[in-house]
Amino acid sequence: MMQNTTSKTHLILIAFLTGGLLTIMTLFNGRVALGGGAIFSSWVAHGVGTVAAIIALIVLFRRRPKGGTRSRAPFWAYLGGISGALTVILTSTTVNTSLALSGTIALGLAGQMVFGLGADVLGLFGLPKRRLAPRELVSFAMICAGSLIIIYLGRV
Amino acid sequence: MGIWFYVLLAFAAGLLVGLSRQINGRLSLSTSPLESSFWNHAIGFVVLCVVALSIGWSHPQDGLADIPLTAYAGGAVGVVFIASSSWLIARIGAAQTAVLVIAGQMVSSVILDIAMGTAGIAWARTLGVTLILAGIFYGRRARD
Repeated sequence: MMQNTTSKTHLILIAFLTGGLLTIMTLFNGRVALGGGAIFSSWVAHGVGTVAAIIALIVLFRRRPKGGTRSRAPFWAYLGGISGALTVILTSTTVNTSLALSGTIALGLAGQMVFGLGADVLGLFGLPKRRLAPRELVSFAMICAGSLIIIYLGRV
Repeated sequence: MGIWFYVLLAFAAGLLVGLSRQINGRLSLSTSPLESSFWNHAIGFVVLCVVALSIGWSHPQDGLADIPLTAYAGGAVGVVFIASSSWLIARIGAAQTAVLVIAGQMVSSVILDIAMGTAGIAWARTLGVTLILAGIFYGRRARD
């Protein structure tokens, strides 16, 4: 099921473009938050997203691959939305402190990296364990350093 | 509350982003990325309904009329974002997914800032984007 049919370069590009989606999403949701607050914005985005996902599932239903060899998902695998929803409560609190938006983004970046590295090394929540090459760690450090420069120095 | 408490909160927010991505990734293995994205949004919506009912919006509601309808498209973009992340994490791992999504977010936000004329420091933006792109190309060799 997990053959490397897509080349690594394609995966890198897709991941990079997914980050671009995040920027567009933040732009839209930020506009809603301006009028209704961060929690309202997230609530609306989850509501609209639920409807959009249902429509997409119906439209794409016929093209859905047959799941003969798939294992059943454990109950907790359906609950990823809980921590996603709680994130907005935390970030909407911290942006209003002296951490501001840049501090919130920078610390969020650190949290994501710590979790991601730990999850790969330990193989958390049923995803495969991964050994990280020194070269990859250097690459991560460069990307994080570049991000911090943009977050703290990129704007006047 | 001391600043360290909020430092911890902002860090925890990052951990939660990673946690939900990991869990959604596991669900997409047994179902599909789109189905995983659906559950993420549906469960998140229920949680936020409970949160909204218990603490209120804590924001004046008179700004709602000013929100352009197009801004609500953010939720639909989010569906693709979560589906894509769930698909990626099973293929390139949690750390790779996190760092490359951050890279794409940073570079695209710089492009957006420049396009929208947001005041910024050119050398810092250039250095940041250069470091990010160099990091991606350097790491690519380890993955090929």
